[in-house]
Amino acid sequence: MRTFILRRLLFAIPTLIGISIITFVIVRLAPGDPIRLFTFGSRATNEDIEALRHLYGLDQPLPIQYLDWMLKLVHGDFGQSFIYHTDAAALFIQYIPNTLQLAVVALTIQLLVGVPLGVIAALKRGTWVDGFIRVFGVAGHAVPAFWLGLVLILFFAVQLKWLPSQGILTVGKDPWDFLDRLKHMLLPAYVLSLTGIANYSRLLRTETLEVLSQDFVRTAHAKGLNERTVMFVHALRNALIPVVTALGGILAGLIGGALVIEQVFSWPGIGRFTFAAAIAKDYPVIQAGVMISALLLVVSYILRDIAYAVVDPRIGVK
Amino acid sequence: MSHPRTGRALIAALAASMLVATACAGGTPSASAAPSTAATATAAASEKPQQGGRIVEGTISDIATMQPVLVNDTASGRITGLIYDGLVQQDAKTGEVKPKLASYTTSTDGLTYTFTINDKANWSDGKPIIAQDWLTAVTAVGKSATTVRKSTFQDVVGFNDLCAPASSQCKATASTISGVTIDPASPKKFSVKMTKVSCPAILDLGGATASPMPTQVFGKYLTATSKAADFDTAPENTNPTVFSGPFKFKEWRKGDQVILSKNDAYWQGSPNVDEYVYKVVANSTAITTGLKTGELTFGSIVAKDLADMQTVDSVKITKYQSLGYTFIGWNTASPTAVGLADKRVRQALAYGIDMDAVIKAVVFGEATKQVSHHVPVQWAYPSVALEAYKYDKAKADQLLKDAGWIKGADGILAKDGKKFNLTIATNSGNTERETLAQVAADQYKQLGINAVSKPEAFQGLVTKLTTGDQTLEATIIGWSLGGDPDPYQIWHSSQIPDPAKNVTGFGFTYFKDAALDKSIEQGRNPTDGNCSTAARKANYETFNKILNENQPYNFGYSNNVLAVSQKTLQNFAPASFSTIYNVHEWWIKK
Amino acid sequence: MASTATPISAVAANDTLVRPSRSLWSNAWFKLRHDRLTIAAFLTLIVLAALSASADFMATNVFQYSFERQDLLHTYEKPAMEPIAYLLGTDDIGRSAVVRLLYGGRVSLAVGFIAALVNLTIGIFIGLSAGYFRGWVDDLVTWFVTTLQSIPTLFLLLIIAAIWEPGPVQLTVVIGSLFWVGICLYVRGQTFALREREYVVAARTIGARDRRIMFNHILPNILPLIFVLAAIDIGGIILVESALSFLGLGILPPTPTWGNMLTGATGNLVRGPWLIYPPGVMIFLTVLCLYLIGDGLRDALDPRVRGHAG
Repeated sequence: MRTFILRRLLFAIPTLIGISIITFVIVRLAPGDPIRLFTFGSRATNEDIEALRHLYGLDQPLPIQYLDWMLKLVHGDFGQSFIYHTDAAALFIQYIPNTLQLAVVALTIQLLVGVPLGVIAALKRGTWVDGFIRVFGVAGHAVPAFWLGLVLILFFAVQLKWLPSQGILTVGKDPWDFLDRLKHMLLPAYVLSLTGIANYSRLLRTETLEVLSQDFVRTAHAKGLNERTVMFVHALRNALIPVVTALGGILAGLIGGALVIEQVFSWPGIGRFTFAAAIAKDYPVIQAGVMISALLLVVSYILRDIAYAVVDPRIGVK
Repeated sequence: MSHPRTGRALIAALAASMLVATACAGGTPSASAAPSTAATATAAASEKPQQGGRIVEGTISDIATMQPVLVNDTASGRITGLIYDGLVQQDAKTGEVKPKLASYTTSTDGLTYTFTINDKANWSDGKPIIAQDWLTAVTAVGKSATTVRKSTFQDVVGFNDLCAPASSQCKATASTISGVTIDPASPKKFSVKMTKVSCPAILDLGGATASPMPTQVFGKYLTATSKAADFDTAPENTNPTVFSGPFKFKEWRKGDQVILSKNDAYWQGSPNVDEYVYKVVANSTAITTGLKTGELTFGSIVAKDLADMQTVDSVKITKYQSLGYTFIGWNTASPTAVGLADKRVRQALAYGIDMDAVIKAVVFGEATKQVSHHVPVQWAYPSVALEAYKYDKAKADQLLKDAGWIKGADGILAKDGKKFNLTIATNSGNTERETLAQVAADQYKQLGINAVSKPEAFQGLVTKLTTGDQTLEATIIGWSLGGDPDPYQIWHSSQIPDPAKNVTGFGFTYFKDAALDKSIEQGRNPTDGNCSTAARKANYETFNKILNENQPYNFGYSNNVLAVSQKTLQNFAPASFSTIYNVHEWWIKK
Repeated sequence: MASTATPISAVAANDTLVRPSRSLWSNAWFKLRHDRLTIAAFLTLIVLAALSASADFMATNVFQYSFERQDLLHTYEKPAMEPIAYLLGTDDIGRSAVVRLLYGGRVSLAVGFIAALVNLTIGIFIGLSAGYFRGWVDDLVTWFVTTLQSIPTLFLLLIIAAIWEPGPVQLTVVIGSLFWVGICLYVRGQTFALREREYVVAARTIGARDRRIMFNHILPNILPLIFVLAAIDIGGIILVESALSFLGLGILPPTPTWGNMLTGATGNLVRGPWLIYPPGVMIFLTVLCLYLIGDGLRDALDPRVRGHAG
C-alpha cells in the first residue's frame, strides 16, 4: 500500500509539470497585451507601458519567462498580481473556502437525493416510478444551469422574498452566522447539485440492477429473505463502491462547474475570481488559480485511487 | 484632463457582466472617475436627518486598491473618493472646478497655483492635514513603479528631476520637487510652479487622484533610500489606517464587499449613516434584482431593466446624462475599406443610419444622439449649431454616388472594381454594443455596403486599436470622459499609432487636421495663457465643428445613467460629474 | 473534465464487459422495443433534428423571413399567427424568434454531434492504442490524460475561447479536442481486459496484425457502450455551448444558437418574457432525450443487466 501511494505521488510530478506548461502556453498565447489593457484609457505613455512590461518581466522571451515562473514557483512564489499589486496565490487562496463550502453542501444534496432515487428506480424497474425517476433525475441536469438559477432567483427571491438573491452573507451579518450563510447557499448549492443528482441516480440505478441480477442476490431471494434485507445488506453495499470511487472526479466537476453558478448568484468563489482575472489578463493570478486548483484536483484523484484500492478488493494494489 | 476613462472600469464591467453588459464605463454608477464632494447640500432636506443605518451600493466590479496613487479603475476610484478628500472638486452638475479641502488662487501668468488647506481639515487620527501630505502623494507618484500617472505632473517644475526610474521624462536625480514651496508661516499653505500654462492642470494637481496622503503613514515608504516596491506593496494600500474623507475603511471581503464606517472627525461634519458598504455582484441583472428586493440601497441599472424598475414602488429613479458616448470609429487609412478615407462616404454613413431608431432599439430611448466629441453636460459643448445628420437615406445614397461608389448587379456598392466591404468590430460580452454592431451592419447593408458585425474579445481589440493594427475597419467602443474637456489624448495627431516608430495612442481613426491640432493645443496650453472657460470654449467650438464635418467617428450616442435608490435614502442626488459629492449628508429614513 | 465527463469516467471505473454474444444487437433491439420512454425520446430527437435541418426551407417557404432580417419597428412583438414569422414573437431587434430557433438548432445540434464525433474518434484511437500497446505508449497517454483531467475544464475552455474568436467551427474544434478524456479512459480499460481474452490471443498467435486485432476484434466489442457515452457526450456539449454563451465566450450573434438565444432572452426577460421559453425548452428536450436514450441503450446493451424477473 505504501509503495502504491508513493508511486501515485511520484506520478503527480510530471502531471503538475504538464499542467504548468499547458497553462502557461494557453495564457500567454491569448491575444492582447495585459499592460495595454489595464492602461487603456489612462495617461500612461508608451514609455510607461514599456517600463511596466520590464517590471513584470514581460519583455523577456517566453521560454525564459516560463523558467523564471517555474523557479519562483518551486519556492512558493506565484508572483504579484498586475492589478492588485499583492501576492497572486494569497489572493486566490482567499476565495477557496467560499467555493469549497458550496461544493460540500452540493455534494451532500447529491448523495441524499441521488442515491435513493437510483436505488428506488432499479427496484421498480419498468414501472412508472422508474420512468418518473429516470426523467426527473436527468431533467434538472438537462436545463442550462444559468437559466434555472435565474428562474429560481426570480421565484424565491424576487416573488416570494423567502431567500436572498445573491452573495454569501447578508450585508452587516457576522461571518459566523451559519443560518444566514445557509440561506444564501440553498439555491446555488441546489443548482450545483443537479448534475450530481443525475449522475448518481443513473449510476446507482445501473449498479443496483446489475447487483440485483447477480447470483448472490438471487440466492438470497431464493432463500426467502425479504426484499428489504436483500436490498440493504447485499445489493446497496456493493452498488456503493463505484459511488465512493466517483467522488474524486465529482469534486473536480463541482469546482469546475461552480463558475457559472457563482456568476449567476454573485458568489465570491474561485471560479468568478479566476474568470475575472482571465478577462483582465492578470497573468500571475490566472496561472496561480489554474495551478492551485489543478493541485487540488490531483490530490483528490490520488485520494480517490487510494479509496478505490481500499474499497474494491477486486483491484489488486500494485 | 479630458482623457478617456474607459480603462479598467470597462474591463471590470466586462468581466463581471457577461450576461448583460453595461453601456460604456458610464454603466457603472460613477460616470466621472474623479469623485468629488461638494459642500453644497441638496436643499430637499427640510426634515432633520436621522442618524444611523447603512448604505449598500451595488456594483459589478471589485476594487483593486485603496491607494489613490495606484488607482486605475472606477471601482477603486469610488472607494478612495470616500476615504480621501481631494484639494478641489468639480460641481456635480456643471463640472466647474471648486474648492474642497483647499481654496486656491492662480497667478496672473497662469504658471503658479497657490493652495490653502482648510483650517478645520484633520486626519481621522486628529493630526492636521498639511501641505506636506499633498507632497507625499506627489512624491509617491514620482517614486512608484506601477502608477500610470507620472505624466500628470510632468509640467510641475522639478517633478521630472525626482521621478524614477530614469526615462525620457524622468531623471531620478533629486529627492525633492523644486517647484513646490510650502509657506514657512503656515504648514497648510503651499504653491506649485508649472513649466508652462496648462489649463487641465488644476484638476491634475488638486483632483481626487492627487488627494493628500497621510505622511505619518506613508512617509516611511518614501524616504531617500526606499525602493519603488516599498510604496507599491505597502500594506496600507490595501488596508488603510488614516483617512481624510467622510468614511473610514473597515473591512474588505474580496470579491464580495468593502465595508466603510463613518469618520466622526470628518472636517465637513460626521456623516449621518453609520456604514457604507460597496457590494460586488455578478452582473447588471443582479443589481436590478438586489434593488428590487431591497438588498441594495442604490445602484445603476441598464436601460432594458428600466420599464420593470418603474413598476417597483419602493425605489426612486434618477436619470442623468453620462459623461461619455458610444461611437463607431472609422479607420480612415484602412487598406481594405478604402471608402472610409473619403469624407463624403463617412458623411453618408452618418446620414444612412437611423440613430434615433437605433437608440430606441438598443437602449430603449435612454440616450441622446451625439454629433460632436463633447457631450451636452460639459461646458465645452458647442453652443453653435452643428450638422445634426438627421436620417436621410436619399442623401446618403447621393453622397456615396458622388464619391464614386456605384451599385453593381448584386446590389453591392463598388468603385474601381472593388466592392465596399465593411467589418464593424466591437468588444464581445457587451450586449448593447453587440446589438448596436448588428443593427448598424443591417442599416449599412441597405445602403449597398457589404457590412458585417464582428464581436471580438476586448483584450485583443484594445491592443489592436492602440498599436496601429490596420486590419480594423470600423470599431464600436465607448469613451468615458474625465473632468476636464481637453481632448488631446484622443484627437491630437501626435496620438495616432505608428508601429514603425513605436508610437501608440488612441488616435485609431488616423484622422489628421492641422486646424484640429491647433484648436486642441490652444484649449490645452494657450499661447496667451488664457485658461478662462470662454476662451477655451471658443477653441473647442472650432474643434467640434471640424469633427462634425469630417466624421472620423459616427459619434453615436450618449447614454443616460439610470441611478436607482430606495425611497428611504434621502439627499441622494447624483449628477453627471459625481454621485457621492454630498455623501456625508445622506441619511436613511426609518 | 468537469460536468460532462463525470458520468463517463464513472462508467469507465466499473465496467467489465464480457464478450457479447452474436445476438447482442437483436437482443438489445428486443429490449429497446419495450422501453417506451427511450423510444419516445428517440422519436422526439428525430423530430427536433428534422426541424433544424429544414431551417433553410422553412425560412424561405413557410416563414418568408431570413434569420438575419431585422425590423426595428417591430421589436418585441408578442407571439402571433399573423404574420406566421411572428409565431414565437420577435426579439430585441425585430428578428423572428421561430426562424432563429430553427437555425439555432442547426448550429447547436451540429456543434454537439460533430464535436462528439471528434471526441469519439480521438478517444477511441488513443484509448485503443494505450490499452493495446501498454508500456510507454500507455504511460504517455496516462500522463497526458491525467494532466488534462486536472485542469478544471471550464477554466481551460474560457482561456482557449479567448484565443480564438468564437465561431461554430472553432468551438467544435475546441470542444472536440478537449472532451475525449472520459471516452479514452473507458476504451483503454476495456482494451486492457479484452486483449487477454482467448479469441484475441488466438488471433495474435495466428499472426494477425495489430491494427487488425484492434479494429476488427477488440473495437466491435467495445462499440455498443460507446454509443451510450456518445449520447451523454452530445448532451453535455450542448449544455457547455449554452454555458459558454452565458459567460460571453460562446458563439456570438448574429449566428443564432440555442445557447446564445437563451442568454439573450434572460437579458430581455422583462421586455420579452416569451423569448425565454423556446430555446430553453429546445435545449432541455434535446439533452433530456439524449440522456434517456443513453440510459435506455445501456439497459438494452449491457449484458450484465438481465431482464428483471417479474
